[in-house]
Amino acid sequence: MDAGLLEQMLLGALLGLSVYLPLRCGQLSLATPGFFAIGGTVAALLSTRVPALAGSGSTYPITSVLLEMALAALLTGVLALGLGRVVLRLRGIYLAIATIALVEILRVVTLNLEFTGGALGIFGIPQPFNSAAGYAAFTLALLALICWLCDRLEKTRPGRAMAAIRDDELAAASQGINTADTKLLAFVLSALVAGITGVVAAHFLNSWNAKLGNFDASITTLAFVVFGGSRTWLGPVFGGLLLTALPELLRPVGDLRLIVFGAVILVGPLFFPQGVITPELFKWFKPRIGGITTAAAQGVKQ
Amino acid sequence: MEGLLQLLFNGLSVGAVYALFALGYTLVFSVLGVINFAHGAIFTMGAYFTYLLIGGAVGANGLLAGLQFPFALPFWLALPLAGIAAAAVALVVERIAFRPLRDRGSDPLLALITSLGAGVILVNLIQLLVGAESYSIPVGTLGSLPAALSIAGAKVRTVQVMLLAISGLLLAALSIWINGSRSGKALQAVSEDPVTAQLLGINSARVIQIAFGISGFLAGMAGGLVGLSISIAGPYFGIGYGLKGLGVLVLGGLGSVPGAVLGGLIIGLAEACVPADLSGYKDAVSFGFLFLVLLVRPQGLLGRPQANKV
Amino acid sequence: MLRSGGLTPAPMKRRLASSLAALLSAAAALSACQGTEDQGPVNLSKGVPVGAVLALTGNANVYGQDQKIGIELSLAALNGAGGVNGKPLSLSIEDGGSAEPSANAAVSLQINRGILALIGPTLSQQSFSAGPIAQRRGVPLVAPSNTATGIPEIGYFISRVSAQSSVIAPLSIAKALQLNPGIRRAAVFYAQDDAYSTAETVIFQQALTAKGLKPVTVQRTQLNDQDFQSQITAALNQKPDLVVLSLQAMDGGNLIRQLRELGYRGAIVVGNGMNTPNIYPICQKYCDGILIAQAYSPELQTPANQRFTAAFAAAQARNPKVSPIPPQLTAQAYTAMQVIGEALARLDRRQPLKGLPLAQARKALMAEILGGTYQTPLGEIRFTPEGEVIQKNFFVAQVRMNAGGKSGRFSLLP
Repeated sequence: MDAGLLEQMLLGALLGLSVYLPLRCGQLSLATPGFFAIGGTVAALLSTRVPALAGSGSTYPITSVLLEMALAALLTGVLALGLGRVVLRLRGIYLAIATIALVEILRVVTLNLEFTGGALGIFGIPQPFNSAAGYAAFTLALLALICWLCDRLEKTRPGRAMAAIRDDELAAASQGINTADTKLLAFVLSALVAGITGVVAAHFLNSWNAKLGNFDASITTLAFVVFGGSRTWLGPVFGGLLLTALPELLRPVGDLRLIVFGAVILVGPLFFPQGVITPELFKWFKPRIGGITTAAAQGVKQ
Repeated sequence: MEGLLQLLFNGLSVGAVYALFALGYTLVFSVLGVINFAHGAIFTMGAYFTYLLIGGAVGANGLLAGLQFPFALPFWLALPLAGIAAAAVALVVERIAFRPLRDRGSDPLLALITSLGAGVILVNLIQLLVGAESYSIPVGTLGSLPAALSIAGAKVRTVQVMLLAISGLLLAALSIWINGSRSGKALQAVSEDPVTAQLLGINSARVIQIAFGISGFLAGMAGGLVGLSISIAGPYFGIGYGLKGLGVLVLGGLGSVPGAVLGGLIIGLAEACVPADLSGYKDAVSFGFLFLVLLVRPQGLLGRPQANKV
Repeated sequence: MLRSGGLTPAPMKRRLASSLAALLSAAAALSACQGTEDQGPVNLSKGVPVGAVLALTGNANVYGQDQKIGIELSLAALNGAGGVNGKPLSLSIEDGGSAEPSANAAVSLQINRGILALIGPTLSQQSFSAGPIAQRRGVPLVAPSNTATGIPEIGYFISRVSAQSSVIAPLSIAKALQLNPGIRRAAVFYAQDDAYSTAETVIFQQALTAKGLKPVTVQRTQLNDQDFQSQITAALNQKPDLVVLSLQAMDGGNLIRQLRELGYRGAIVVGNGMNTPNIYPICQKYCDGILIAQAYSPELQTPANQRFTAAFAAAQARNPKVSPIPPQLTAQAYTAMQVIGEALARLDRRQPLKGLPLAQARKALMAEILGGTYQTPLGEIRFTPEGEVIQKNFFVAQVRMNAGGKSGRFSLLP
């Protein structure tokens, strides 16, 4: 397999996590591609227009990428804080459509602005790594860090509050959980993840334009989470990795490629309504693996 | 005055298509509470069916290259037949992407993804069969009508007037059916409260099928009409309308039939009012509208307030 | 329903550690097996390997489809004439979709297969994204349809056979004024979300201004727009006597039809994107009379073009209803394949490909591509050292539709 494809899969996993965070507290927000586009635009603008960031070496300094990520996180975070207060009053499909509207408005505005390069976008984005493998290693570290943070989050008070809101918002509120703030937290975290993913994607793709954050992307990233599962962070990671890779892995079937891809998206939720990866799956696995290891340990003793 | 009338014509001609498209969305939404993302693809199929039924030939690409029906129907007959064929496709979509979810008692929101999958399959199937090229319904199909009508100095294409008229007829028929027939009332009952409807002895599975059938029929007719007005711009033809239709649907109120029509006309008019030097922002208009409406009146213009489900 | 977290911290931690470890090792394993085969010899077991990445799916699918026909015809012609000095060319075509990530994946896949040169991607945006990959890996890439400024500048290995609008577009404006010196008021339309259209309209507007015809109105459309009534009536209010379009075949064809139906009678000049018979079924009888600047003319009377048009007509013969006139995109894709085929034959005579290390063969091939002169359906072409095409002939044609409005031709204007 090609490291470039691996990198795209890892970016898919990160976007899946971004959709997963609000969904974990029951909020169907499809704003991820919008924040992803903002992150990418920030990176594309800074790295091509600010000579001070370019450094002196032959490759673009990673410290500059980290700085872009920080700025993208700041921008998307502040934006999400403001927008979240407004849109999170909506629920279910209404929230989904409102966030799709946001993504579309952002796309049209980006297309019309002079400094984002219009339809052609921004190209010639400098490269911090010489090969796709370098990107993959960097993104893997980023994914690992965000997975670890998600895992921590799921065990701490805000994380449990999110799960409680998802199960029953009124009950959660009556237990003294500040539902508005908790939902806002999830929305902001989602935006941060999407924003920094956009930074990496812009460098990796060498160029950036308004089309990269559109309606199609909203639905595709939702498919990552639905397919993988939305009850543990491993679900969207799995869904993002698999569904990004699938169209590529299906190349041998030629013209039928996208028909088979569509069939997988169609059939997946029918057979795995909770997504492929569920907490129950671990419960099912644990005793078996545990049993085997205990048996093996006993075998060694004897 | 002349300018205002022109603006009205421009807005209505676009808005009628949006409305027809959103009606199909809304029928499915009213009974199931979800959006059928395969609707755009069904619309596209309706256009291709119309093209084939009036005797059009498939181009040189795709598995069906060179196919042509041995007969050529007149447009007024081909259009409803294409609608029926599209309704059949919609029923298949319901069977494979929606019903299994209901049978298993899964979260209805999963239908967003399964219907997306069905849409991807349909679009790529079209390309596999008839290729990516555009097809069109010949200009002379309507006989010797003039290309455009001039009313009080404002101009409008004859095709658009027809489109508006047929949309109006379809809408009237739909309203009569919903309010006047047994199955129409059953549809209303299911959309009000599926559980009570079931208790009243209404076969909700049947009602859902009817909703899909009619939604597909409307989409197919809309596809054929738009194909006549412009052309069938390849397998992705309906996708652009899918997104606009979503805006219309919410603006009018999810699940509201008159709302879908009102929403379509409002968005069409709003787009027509965008001044030329800002025309780049035209696509943002419908979504800006939609966004504002959601914040001020989340149930849409004619929708019922959202139940605070526990 | 299971509330996650809290109850089972220790196994969760183990789960996290083990999943991350699995991810890491998988990544390490995957990235280790890349980029080693470039030093081996060229794999000629199935023929001389050449690849193409075309937009066969997504919004640009119709362009990819037209290009595929051209590349396959060119391959048949080259192999029919003996391939690369007796060795046949083997071509693999991959779908690059209509977006950047899919084009990147397809380009990487082709390079990893050990191809010597690559044709594609279809869209300029895709080339800005995938071009640098080919450049880093040292693989000659010949873009068949990119017209944006800056494509050959991506690097040494990137070239194109598609001439930029800046060279072609002004010709048709000059021709329109020559045919009708009375033109005073020009209206301009362009698709604002399309890279090609936005670039071309700038050239058109400069050419108009240079002739003292500053546009009286500029209307922006979107690539997926199909109803242009608003823009057209707004433009017609300005009483134009020349309409200049920078649009693609689909939206442009529709706009022309609606423009005529709404009563516009003046001259219409369209850009290079509409140089395809695909517009005939869209604007039908209303296509008649439009002026078009061409980077390719089906009516060019050279042996290379006559061979190409004959082969195209023969290939389309299975459906007599389809126009036997090749689109510009097909001719350009044919040319890209021809350039690579001829350059490979020259290289093989100079340095036999058999046994040549792949990386070295690719580099030598690039020098060979840039150094040659080619007799193609586009006329005679060669390249600047940067890889920009130098094309001898450009054309201005006028569309002449046959009675019934179903077929027509691009009749060359002197």
